[in-house]
Amino acid sequence: MRRDDKKDETSLFRRVVLKNAALYHYLKVSLVLEDESTKLSAVDLKQFIITGLKNLFGEVGAALSFDLLKYDEETLTSFLRVPSRDLVRLWSSLTLLGSYKNRACAFRVLQVSPYLLSLTGNSRELKLD
Amino acid sequence: MVRVKLRYLLCEVNVSDRSRLLLLDDRAVAVAVKAAVARMHGDYGAALCRIRFSVKYLNALTGIVFLRFHKMFYRLLWSALPFITCIETRGQKIECFLNCLHVGGTIRTCQKFLVRYNTRQLHRMLPKCKNEEEKKHVREEILKCCLTEGKREEFVEESDSEEDEEQ
Repeated sequence: MRRDDKKDETSLFRRVVLKNAALYHYLKVSLVLEDESTKLSAVDLKQFIITGLKNLFGEVGAALSFDLLKYDEETLTSFLRVPSRDLVRLWSSLTLLGSYKNRACAFRVLQVSPYLLSLTGNSRELKLD
Repeated sequence: MVRVKLRYLLCEVNVSDRSRLLLLDDRAVAVAVKAAVARMHGDYGAALCRIRFSVKYLNALTGIVFLRFHKMFYRLLWSALPFITCIETRGQKIECFLNCLHVGGTIRTCQKFLVRYNTRQLHRMLPKCKNEEEKKHVREEILKCCLTEGKREEFVEESDSEEDEEQ
């Protein structure tokens, strides 16, 4: 392999195998609120998730770095990015978040994937249009 | 058979004013540790802290504390210990911090370490003594712990079944 490299680099067939190469996991999450009329901005949502993390995992959990990539205010659907190591902690804190402003609410995790591209398709509902 | 594996942390309570150490009691230490864990690791940590956590031994004169944790998550709970800044007892706050000296699988290994550690401290104290009386006192103490150590060795050789396992 090494010798071939020197000989000709352009016409070389290379096989690269990556194991656990993805640093992040992406989640597609929708928030279901009891009171439909409540408006939530992106900042509010992030704040809400952080308080949930802080309740369950304390200050260490609140320092966990996750990003809100995209947020749709109408459908309350958001894309979260979190380092793979912290996926379980984020997910469990989302599960245990039960109320927003003293009204019941729930997070529905729709899709989880290490690749953002795979969130574009939807394997759950299989809507063909 | 499988038995419950535990970890014992040998900690030293450091205070600026030695006389306040006498106010300590084991319940106050337990409460302080639990509060620190709950603050740093939230409900999850607090729940883990309820499993087999206890303060096994507290010496108010020397400020030595043995904390017992379950082996599975002692690292997580241990990481909250540096955040203890004060221990509250009888309405008084004692400013202090915990200094972890040793982690052992059994109380006995912790005890052995403590004896060795204290002997070393005595040896260190000896050259710093101001007058003859103090020197004599420290020498006697060193001699005493040498004697007990000798006796202990004999005793231990008979039944040394539980080995300390450091991870």
